[in-house]
Amino acid sequence: MSEYLLEMSGICKSFSGVHALDHVNFAVRPGKVMCLAGENGCGKSTLVKIISGVYTKDEGEVTFEGQKITKITPAEATQLGIQVIYQDLSIFPNLTVMENLAINSEITAGKKLVNRKRWEATAKEALSKIGYQIDLYAKMGELSVADKQLVAICRALLFNAKLIIMDEPTTALTKKEVDALFKTVRQLRDSGIAIMFISHKTEEIFEISDDVCIMRNGKNVYSGPTAELTREKYTYYLTGRELVEDRFIPKNISKEPVLRVNHLTLKDQKCKDISFSLRKGEILGVTGLLGSGRTELALSLFGLEKIESGTIELNGKDVKISSPIAAQKMKIGYVPEDRLTEGLCLQQPIADNITLSSLKRLANSFGIIKKQDIIADANIWKEKFSIATDDVRKFASTLSGGNQQKIVLSKWLSNDLDVLILNGPTVGVDVGAKQDIHHLVHELANEGLAVIIISDDLSEVVVNCSRVIVMKDGGIVGEMTGDNITEENILEIIR
Amino acid sequence: MNKAALKRMTKRTEFYIFLVLIAMCIAIEIISGGQLFAADKIVTILRSMVVDGMFAMCCLVVMISGGFDLSFPAIASLASCLSATICVNFGFCETNPIIGILLAIVIGAVLGMFNGWIISNFKLNTMIVTLATQTFFTGITMGLLQLKEITSKLPKGFRNMGESYLFEVYNAAGLRSTMTSMFIFLVLLCLATSFVLKHTMFGRGLYAIGGNEVSAERAGYNVKRIKFLLYTVVGAMSGFIGIIRVSMARQAIPKALDGKEMTIIPAVILGGASIFGGEGSVFGTVCAVAIITVVSNSMLLLGIGTYWQDFFNGLVILVGITISAVQAKRRNG
Repeated sequence: MSEYLLEMSGICKSFSGVHALDHVNFAVRPGKVMCLAGENGCGKSTLVKIISGVYTKDEGEVTFEGQKITKITPAEATQLGIQVIYQDLSIFPNLTVMENLAINSEITAGKKLVNRKRWEATAKEALSKIGYQIDLYAKMGELSVADKQLVAICRALLFNAKLIIMDEPTTALTKKEVDALFKTVRQLRDSGIAIMFISHKTEEIFEISDDVCIMRNGKNVYSGPTAELTREKYTYYLTGRELVEDRFIPKNISKEPVLRVNHLTLKDQKCKDISFSLRKGEILGVTGLLGSGRTELALSLFGLEKIESGTIELNGKDVKISSPIAAQKMKIGYVPEDRLTEGLCLQQPIADNITLSSLKRLANSFGIIKKQDIIADANIWKEKFSIATDDVRKFASTLSGGNQQKIVLSKWLSNDLDVLILNGPTVGVDVGAKQDIHHLVHELANEGLAVIIISDDLSEVVVNCSRVIVMKDGGIVGEMTGDNITEENILEIIR
Repeated sequence: MNKAALKRMTKRTEFYIFLVLIAMCIAIEIISGGQLFAADKIVTILRSMVVDGMFAMCCLVVMISGGFDLSFPAIASLASCLSATICVNFGFCETNPIIGILLAIVIGAVLGMFNGWIISNFKLNTMIVTLATQTFFTGITMGLLQLKEITSKLPKGFRNMGESYLFEVYNAAGLRSTMTSMFIFLVLLCLATSFVLKHTMFGRGLYAIGGNEVSAERAGYNVKRIKFLLYTVVGAMSGFIGIIRVSMARQAIPKALDGKEMTIIPAVILGGASIFGGEGSVFGTVCAVAIITVVSNSMLLLGIGTYWQDFFNGLVILVGITISAVQAKRRNG
């Protein structure tokens, strides 16, 4: 038998003439973690679906445990020991943990009736596989994402899994939860199970994987041990271009601060005695662990938190920001987490998406909006952000991820702003699109916008910010500028 | 009972619905000066719960699977009136109603199959599909078959079944009330539904599909087949309930059940079934049907005009869907 558990060679799959997979080769070793990386739409999920039997390949060879597999159904894949943990975890939020654990194997066993005792035994067995403890009768929907994930892993293990495929498991997890998940992954790996780990996040891939397979446009462009790969090479393979993360250099900083916060304390004490100022043309980073008060600080500037004491000055005048509408009138914009990815109507024209929040401005005195005005306005933004489309009347779904992000940003910016607050602007965004967004923000800052980036992605903070404040337990514990901003320096105070 | 189990119980809507039912009964009893807890009154209320309660069971299982069925009254009308018309024309059921019952069940099953076939094959929104089939079935009843009202000509077999009773009670004034034997069917249907939902893989499958259809499919359930089967069984049950109603009312009137879904669905939602699917229980549904029946039967006792019934039904829908939405939010957020 070969050293590989799963070998795939020359896999092709096309959907209505479009090649989703074009002669993909790769192999998974037992007892190792293999990362499958690639930008959105590169064919990762198609590949996973072929392995799990949801799709049938057009061409190519699949060998599992030395045996050639020609055609396979999802049920057969399960029997072979292939388990997929999908991104949505395939759980039933309305059922108990016990039912979630046992239901799959009961169905597979062809049972007709429910036997509580057997279900409970199955569930307990599943939990014991990784020594995980949880209330069996808790409702699944009430658990945290991390707990749901562990339950899904336990469920997969019930089927004597030899290969577990995890589809972007860390997207909704905090750093601490990711660490716990990785501990479990290593535990599984050491027991001889092969893990296929699909991820966007560079750091995670280098932390957890033994082998990497990188895909781009339906082809695999690299496969081999992680140790032989540098981060630069990885990014190159992933995006097909040399990405040089250029640091933001402020060019156009105003003399007077546009925003000044003095001894701000919130009613719920999530932020205590916060003072800082922000000038036009600056990008200020606010970082800290989850619960450090970074998000609350941003919300207070957008009128969504109650202030106990302290003042906020805008352009030298004391202001009271009582609501998001008031904040917008004062030219403060706030883009919440995940808004960049979810704030789009994909099945609507690009132009309509861009102008969604500025319809009031486009309307005439009777409140009537002309189609031409929408198109004209959208075209201005298309030029400005170099959105890659030939016609703004096309649906937003026709654009690539990075260009979709640009639409969302232009939507917020189409109302003239002084201060833009971005909370986790690139959460769940792939490397290429991430850089596009960063460049965009740099440009905006250099045109005179004051930007606050709230993020726990330290590399993002380091590359983009001309100044960083670090928060902990609701207070500011450190501030850095220029070359002093390094991941090491931030980590030192954050802990 | 341990603490965790007690805590779980208090989180369930059914628990509160039950409390509301008890509290309401006591309140009505006091306000009406002790008229509610009289043997004849209770018998009347239980009697009026038979048809609604059975319909509610059909509605409940569909709703648990994440669907909506608006067509069950139309199925019941078509199946029962067609069955009765056939029996009258061929002289069936003069002594034993069994042929008529079987006919109604078969007709109902065929109509349900039609629902199930469309819903499972084309993956359409169940509410829209059943809204269409409801109109379609009513069209068959009134237009295509031109079924007429059957009153005095109703076969004896049906009449006897409807008039049979388990026991009789007398009120203070000496008036006789009978406990219809049709009540047995309600009890049996509730027990059967409860068993299927709790103790069969099919029942758990309904919850699973209602909770997350894609996951159910991935877990190995044949979602298409389950849905087809579900709507077929619900259709068959609706036909059966239609015949029960015809027997109890001693007449087959095609339009008698029009708009029934608008009182049953709110009751089921009030009973803890989620409009998003995946939640609901027999106990909660029975309590909710009891609440609605007690209220509508007590309005006269309390001296409230019957026009207020619509007001009350609307209120029930609002309360029910609010609870349902809040629960779903808690579950998903």
